[in-house]
Amino acid sequence: MSTRLDAFRRMTLLRIAEEETANLYLRDKIMSFVHFYVGQEAVAVGVSDSLMSNDRAMGNHRSHGHYLAKGGDLRRMLCELLGKAEGSSHGKGGSMHMIDRSAGFTGSTPILGSIVAIAAGSAFEQKHNATGDVTVAYVGDGGSEEGGVYETMNLAALFKLPLLIVVENNLYSVNSKLLDRRSKEYSVEGVVRNLGLAYAKADGNNYDDVRSKATALLEGVRAGKPAVLECLAYRHMAHSAPIFDDAQGYREEDVLERRLAEDCLKKMKARLLEEGSSEEVFSDIENEIRTHVLEEIAYAVAAPYPSPETLYTDVYA
Amino acid sequence: MHNEPRILKYTEALREATEQAMAEDPSVFVIGLGVSYKNGADGTTAGLKELYPERVLDVPVSEDAFTGMAVGAAIHGMRPIVHHGRVEFALFAADHICTQAAKWNYMFGGNNPVPVVFRINVGRQWGNGPQHTQSLFGLFGSVLGLKVVIPSSPYMAKGLLRAAIKDNNPVVLLESRWVFPVKQEVPEEAYELPLDKAHVVQSGNDLTVVAYGDGVIAAREAIELIGDQVDVELIDLVSINPIDEETIHASLKKTGRLLTVDTTSASFSIGSEVAARALRMSDVTFRTTPGMLSCPDVPCPTSTALSEAYYPTKVDIANAILAQCGKDQITKELTFEELHLPPTHTIV
Ligand SMILES: Cc1ncc(C[n+]2csc(CCOP(=O)(O)OP(=O)(O)O)c2C)c(N)n1
Ligand SMILES: [Mg+2]
Repeated sequence: MSTRLDAFRRMTLLRIAEEETANLYLRDKIMSFVHFYVGQEAVAVGVSDSLMSNDRAMGNHRSHGHYLAKGGDLRRMLCELLGKAEGSSHGKGGSMHMIDRSAGFTGSTPILGSIVAIAAGSAFEQKHNATGDVTVAYVGDGGSEEGGVYETMNLAALFKLPLLIVVENNLYSVNSKLLDRRSKEYSVEGVVRNLGLAYAKADGNNYDDVRSKATALLEGVRAGKPAVLECLAYRHMAHSAPIFDDAQGYREEDVLERRLAEDCLKKMKARLLEEGSSEEVFSDIENEIRTHVLEEIAYAVAAPYPSPETLYTDVYA
Repeated sequence: MHNEPRILKYTEALREATEQAMAEDPSVFVIGLGVSYKNGADGTTAGLKELYPERVLDVPVSEDAFTGMAVGAAIHGMRPIVHHGRVEFALFAADHICTQAAKWNYMFGGNNPVPVVFRINVGRQWGNGPQHTQSLFGLFGSVLGLKVVIPSSPYMAKGLLRAAIKDNNPVVLLESRWVFPVKQEVPEEAYELPLDKAHVVQSGNDLTVVAYGDGVIAAREAIELIGDQVDVELIDLVSINPIDEETIHASLKKTGRLLTVDTTSASFSIGSEVAARALRMSDVTFRTTPGMLSCPDVPCPTSTALSEAYYPTKVDIANAILAQCGKDQITKELTFEELHLPPTHTIV
């Protein structure tokens, strides 16, 4: 059972890996589409900490955090972001296609909502082979509006699949608010429960809440009752650029002060302080992680690009 | 001042056609993800929400349903413009586009028009990779019941979009993202361009080059590179459904040489279709085997180290033209910007 300080360490890794990647992108004008997870770390780490190591997770366009929290290799991720041969997809995929099968993170796709059905296929395999494992599908509030997601919920309930759908509700699909996309009467809980799945809502800015709700739901999931965990979390950065976008003026609830007040890392620190930790412990961890991340970034920057012939490889297995 | 040319970007030209159509016809509406934003749909719907709040609809991430809704509205008298930011998103609505809208009039024995426009962004864009850069020209070209056009310039974008809105059939505009920043003089008044005619960009006697979309831009640059060594006739196909065989035929009778330029992979490409039709033109005597340039038959990778060899460059096209005419090849290194960033020049 990992401690809260371990979780802080992992959340810090997610945060710093992306902060430093953002710096690198701006400095070296890296050209690869990128969606940052900064602010939502408690979701991926809280969910991952409630999984067993053989469980699987799959993600979307914003999956650096999902990947790292599941134990995905940092170096191979950074190499992939920079289009290098050592990247987890050898440069073919880039930021929107995270994968580290050895860590149980078996893929992500930027085609919204599609991962939910694919993750149901993983859960189907797990059930078929009676492995006792589960699959997590991460989907955004926007992605969850695809028809295929509703269809998959029905299938998962019908086939009693060990599937946990984590809906990360960060209030936006690009810059479209929830109320631009749903009537006031729309109830995620109502939809989910009426399709026959279990449901819980967690404060996605709070690690402990995510972890305890995920752990509770997973018991049922493992027994064949698929579930949706809706996590409300704030996306701190722009939809798809290494920048902060408050100047655009579309944010209502999650304005800068609110985001800083609700920041999952800040909340985690407060909790750890209550438990007797100290600012010094935090800064030691942060320094250690930043040093590590910068070393790995330096490695990735220096790493070779894929050779031109590899353009023609990998179309078929 | 009054003699200053009126220069618009491709995206601004699309926006202008949309605004003019909305002003004239209250049955025109725009629907798609983010179309109501300040810089909606890459600027192609910028500011329209303020002008027509009831007719510019941002939507949930539900392509299948909102596209179907637009088709239904078209069947019942409205003139929707549906926007899909990438072709991969439009595929969620493949049923409504290819099977419903495209077959409706036919399956009810005529007199059942479906005046809907599907604006679908396609193709190359840095850092976007295998699931965000497909073009699928051949796929749309093969769907009977759709009219399919590929505007290659701002002037054309404005005139074709207007014609598409006025047409009583489902019209697909495949808009290459690569061309979005390109500029050109565009008249302010509304005008229509034919949805079924190729455009002879420049006439010549030695070789017919058939290109479309972003390929036309690269082909123009290639012709500039070569200078007057070869007298090229450049045809912008404009429409891939139908394909304007008459224009191609007239050109080939003159030149007897054909080079097609695709900006997607070779198999089932527009180039293969054009070549197949050309070879059936019994009164054309080919002086050389038709040439085809295209991307290789692999998906487009994300890493710039790999994508730089993916799309035919102006140098590739220039050399293919020279090869067709038995001339020496040229060598020229392209800059990172030329290889990876979209053109921003003004077409004259
Ligand atoms: C099928 C599909 N439609 C549209 C898009 C364009 N798109 C990319 S990310 C995004 C917003 C997604 O919002 P959400 O699912 O809430 O995830 P978030 O970005 O907030 O993490 C959109 C509309 C897409 N990638 N796939
Ligand atoms: Mg969201």
